[in-house]
Amino acid sequence: MSRAYPLPSNLSKETVTNTASLLRIIALALISGAAIASRLFAVINFESVIHEFDPWFNFRASKVLAAKGFYEFWNWFDPTAWYPLGRVVGGTVYPGLMATSGVIYNLLHALNLPVDVRNVCVLLAPGFSALTAWATYMFTKEMKDESAGLLAAAFIGIVPGYISRSVAGSYDNEAIAIFLLMFTFYCWIKALKQGSAMFGTVAAVFYFYMVAAWGGYVFITNMIPLHALVLMLMGRFSSRLYVAYSSWYAIGTLASMQVPFVGFQPVTTSEHMAALGVFGLLQIVAFSQLVRSHISSQQFKALLYFAVIGTGILGATAFIVLTYKGWIAPWTGRFYSLWDTGYAKKYIPIIASVSEHQPTAWPSFFMDLQFLVFVFPAGVALCFRQLRDEHLFVIIYAVMSSYFAGVMVRLMLTLTPVVCVASAVALSTLLDTYIDPREPEASNEKKSESETAPPSTNGTSTPEVAPAPVPTSTKKGKKATIAAAAQPEPTPASVIEEVAAAISPLPIAPKKSSSPQTKSRGIWGLDPRLTVIFNTLAMLSFFVFHCTWVTANAYSSPSIVLASANQDGSQHIIDDFREAYYWLRQNTPETSVIMSWWDYGYQIAGMADRPTLVDNNTWNNTHIATVGKAMASSEEAAYPILRKHDVDYVLVIFGGLIGYSGDDINKFLWMVRIAQGVWPEEIQEPNYFTQHGEYRVDAQASPAMKNSLMYKMSYYRYPELFGGDDGSDRVRQQKIPKGAVTLDILDEAFTSENWIVRIYEVRKEDNLGRDHKSANAFAQGKKRKRSKPQVRRRAIAVG
Amino acid sequence: MLTGHPLLLYILVCVSSVLAASSPSTRSFENSAIVRTFELGGSLVHVTTTYAIKALESGAKTYTLALSSEERRKASWLEVKVKGQEDTLPIVEHIVGSNKPYHLIDVKLPKALPVNGTLNIVLETIQTHATEPWPAKAAQTEEQAVKFTTDLFVVSPYSTAVQRTKLRTLSPRIITYTIPENLDQFTSEATASKSSATVTYGPYNNIPPSTNTAFYSKHQMPVTIHYNHDHPILEILTYDRSAEISHWGANLNIEDKIHLFNAGPELKGHFSRIQHQMQAFYGKPPPHVLPAMNLDLPPNVRNVYYYDLIGNVSTSRLRVAPPVPKGSPVMKHSALELRPRYPIMGGWNYTFTLGWDAPLGDSVAWDAKNGKYIAEIPVMLSFPGAVVNDARINVILPEGATDIEVSVPYPAVENTISTHTTYLDSTGRPKFTFIYKNLTTKHIANIYVTYKVSSSAHLKKPLVVATAFFSVFTIALITRRIDLTIHPKKKAK
Repeated sequence: MSRAYPLPSNLSKETVTNTASLLRIIALALISGAAIASRLFAVINFESVIHEFDPWFNFRASKVLAAKGFYEFWNWFDPTAWYPLGRVVGGTVYPGLMATSGVIYNLLHALNLPVDVRNVCVLLAPGFSALTAWATYMFTKEMKDESAGLLAAAFIGIVPGYISRSVAGSYDNEAIAIFLLMFTFYCWIKALKQGSAMFGTVAAVFYFYMVAAWGGYVFITNMIPLHALVLMLMGRFSSRLYVAYSSWYAIGTLASMQVPFVGFQPVTTSEHMAALGVFGLLQIVAFSQLVRSHISSQQFKALLYFAVIGTGILGATAFIVLTYKGWIAPWTGRFYSLWDTGYAKKYIPIIASVSEHQPTAWPSFFMDLQFLVFVFPAGVALCFRQLRDEHLFVIIYAVMSSYFAGVMVRLMLTLTPVVCVASAVALSTLLDTYIDPREPEASNEKKSESETAPPSTNGTSTPEVAPAPVPTSTKKGKKATIAAAAQPEPTPASVIEEVAAAISPLPIAPKKSSSPQTKSRGIWGLDPRLTVIFNTLAMLSFFVFHCTWVTANAYSSPSIVLASANQDGSQHIIDDFREAYYWLRQNTPETSVIMSWWDYGYQIAGMADRPTLVDNNTWNNTHIATVGKAMASSEEAAYPILRKHDVDYVLVIFGGLIGYSGDDINKFLWMVRIAQGVWPEEIQEPNYFTQHGEYRVDAQASPAMKNSLMYKMSYYRYPELFGGDDGSDRVRQQKIPKGAVTLDILDEAFTSENWIVRIYEVRKEDNLGRDHKSANAFAQGKKRKRSKPQVRRRAIAVG
Repeated sequence: MLTGHPLLLYILVCVSSVLAASSPSTRSFENSAIVRTFELGGSLVHVTTTYAIKALESGAKTYTLALSSEERRKASWLEVKVKGQEDTLPIVEHIVGSNKPYHLIDVKLPKALPVNGTLNIVLETIQTHATEPWPAKAAQTEEQAVKFTTDLFVVSPYSTAVQRTKLRTLSPRIITYTIPENLDQFTSEATASKSSATVTYGPYNNIPPSTNTAFYSKHQMPVTIHYNHDHPILEILTYDRSAEISHWGANLNIEDKIHLFNAGPELKGHFSRIQHQMQAFYGKPPPHVLPAMNLDLPPNVRNVYYYDLIGNVSTSRLRVAPPVPKGSPVMKHSALELRPRYPIMGGWNYTFTLGWDAPLGDSVAWDAKNGKYIAEIPVMLSFPGAVVNDARINVILPEGATDIEVSVPYPAVENTISTHTTYLDSTGRPKFTFIYKNLTTKHIANIYVTYKVSSSAHLKKPLVVATAFFSVFTIALITRRIDLTIHPKKKAK
């Protein structure tokens, strides 16, 4: 047998396997290191701080957990959230994330390592990304082999689609959930392959952990039953499937019901019904298999006929009755918006107002996955080659998550692992093919030439380079491969096979069974090999550059700190959010209630430590709509709302001075829409546009816009910054007329350095019982307007 | 343990001497002149009183000073010297009388004076919390004015020939001051005079011994001065310093948790950013706003960090000074321009943490004679013009330190010893805590700690860590080799 390049021949089999496993461990360690390191851009460029919005709540909850222990956390009632309603945190939260960091924190402190709970939280996501890489390695190993696993681990380690949710400081449920997802899937595949109740139980335990950690557990709840169902429909029912699914479902469901926030949902809501249905179906199928083995086929057919009809009718009736009676909850709005992307915008503006619930734009697929997008279908197609049970899983997973990722930006996260797995399978198959030193038989080549057109142009030269091997050596080699362990002195040929297998690990089992030592198809010579390998390596290295670039530039901003460049190129930090929040924390009474748009609720609770009206846990649409209404109404209409809710301070985000586009004026239409959903008579969206249907803030803005509290708070005294001129809004590129904005019910209490955060104090009722407008006019020394004579005089002058 | 702790000694001496102290003889001395100068600041008032004394009897070695009880209460720091000399004179304070309006302090003179022998004694005190912003509220654009009240006469148990009291302010804009009346007995001229930034009361002549209630009820009277102060009045409400000595890291880490409070007039109305920006633009910031402050850190510091409860404060600059040889005076400090997140207006609070690492060699020395280390820990940073209301200084020694002796520059209100457990410690480190009140710039001094660390104590930590790792690996080694399967399968490969 010929080879394209020589291999060392004096290595023992043990050396080869040991070296290979050592290399794998080193590679995995390096991949973990790379995965952690690339997530530390945020810490190095900025600081070790919690990012964005939701992580601030998780961080706050973790602090409670670390300080007071798990029991207190479980019973924690937070009176400062959703003032005056409060929030039962222990029962309305997925506690997995906080529990994880709590355990790590306590463990470190037990070892006398006084690590701050903040640092534990900040570095949790990078740490778990290393575990994700390992879990993906294990999962892909089941699909193909170790080398594909390593590739998949490397991909998931640095792919931006996953990094976007797991940079240091992004302390959110997704940080640990992807690891749990991959590991649950791995255990499921393992359980299915081996028919192992133990792996089924392990899968159930990790499923429980996943349920405790992230609402996206529903994805597992439906993926595994779907896989089981497809297997059954394809006639692949086996006792292995029965054992694996039953053990996973029974234990997993019981365990998941222990999470208070989930409670009885696994048996009462539609999202979980598929899993229950498949479980029932599996029992029926298993039972029918049992019956079939005991009775004749004639009887069985008749029995099956009635049984199928009866069960179908019974099941459907039961489902309808239960849904009708309200024992099974119908699909939630968030779920509907997965099928109809316009649904949320029409019926639940609050879901649509979240940017991560928008449909994914095409460029973001490339941004998040780069060349994996193109390799991914190839990998899925390769799964059809062997189509083992676990390959079916990848195919289903790929189809489902591709759809969901297209519907919602945030579900890109669930697509990423399968893209990595499938791409790794594809790329490693490619590399296997081209690194494999064996060359095809010349005789076979001739046969294939006669059958089909010659695939390569260098076909003429290859026969000389690759002479046909002696048949005896091949036979000997084959025998040696099988009995290599027994032989004390392996023959050189067998060693070469081992080395080749270690370098380009084609699955050993199929090699033994199906493909012969002498291959009919393959690559000749070194140059096509080098070309393809070089190309692949180039793609891979570009991928690394792309990932690093995207991570550093797009995904590592904490978003509570804004960075800009000074003229000399040094970094200038705009820290207005923390400035204002810290001011609130230090210089206002602890009981002051802050009203702001819900986006900032968690941040205010976390950084300013003050009660808020609404926050990012958007469970109460009416309460949010109330805030929207107050912001969208005139001062007179807003004042009773503010006073009734004991609001002391109102906080708005204004980006007009430095051009920060994510400010409240740009979000204002969502406030109007959400308020309109509850009070359609009082708030109407069209009133906030000009007559030509434009959204303007300058002199032509609509009266409703100009009178709204939000507009007034944003632009109060703003034009004064520009001397005598009109103020200019850099976000909307419009002129703000000077002297137009007056505020009577609010006092400006604090404005941050770049005017991003503006805080107003709500005035109490006037002591003399005047309305605020006249009280304010009196305080400023203005005389009460005597309008009548003036009007008459003007009329005379005009006339 | 605190062996030979100077504080204990000091208290013992105090108690015994107070018992021995008798009421001063009014006959032994006479004051030829007393001049008292108040340097009026924001939160601190620096008082210097010079007594020109003349002995009337020979052999008198103890001169008795008097302060009003109020002054003694406000004085956070007190020192008596012979004029022009460096050494302080030993003093013994009488027990503070509950009903007496004055407080007596015995000063031990360096040598007994002959009859008619003269000596100039200087009493220096720093008064804290003695001033009061007036008006108590000021808008962002308004000035800052402060009121200060003191007694007109310097009381003394001896008769005094001439006496003057001077009140000196930093800015020449003095709004009002009390003009005392009915002083014909002591002076024939104007009772008070003002020249630019100084108000002078006196000279008053022939004042009888005044440490008696008769003088108080007849002559003593309060005088008040109301003046503009052009700098923010700062108070540090709590100051929590931890100094951690690490021999393995060759590092001295100092971390200060500081609660800063602007004790100037409370902000009237609200803070307006546009007004603040305009004032900054025209270069006329109001005197009661603190936008930033400069702090002197020790030279040769590294890893300086400045953060608050919600993270790093990114608006500061630092210039590190080069190291100075041990023992020589520090001429150049590292300069930290510390800018809080927001400008601190009157009545506003700001808490933050400031810390740094310094090479251990700069502050710890090895005494080969008795095999001990000597560490020098500064009590606090210098906050010019600010008073530290409550300070807590923690000194954390290396794990396994023994034979510890601590020497404090002035006695603490309270001190405790506890154990502090940190990075991979097994038995914990000894921690000394000193609690002080009303510290001022005059209190900047060093705490000296000597201790022994045996080489076995040095090696304890690596041994513990190595043992822990070794046992982990051993357990892993054993568990990998135990086969727990119930039905061992044949290795079919």
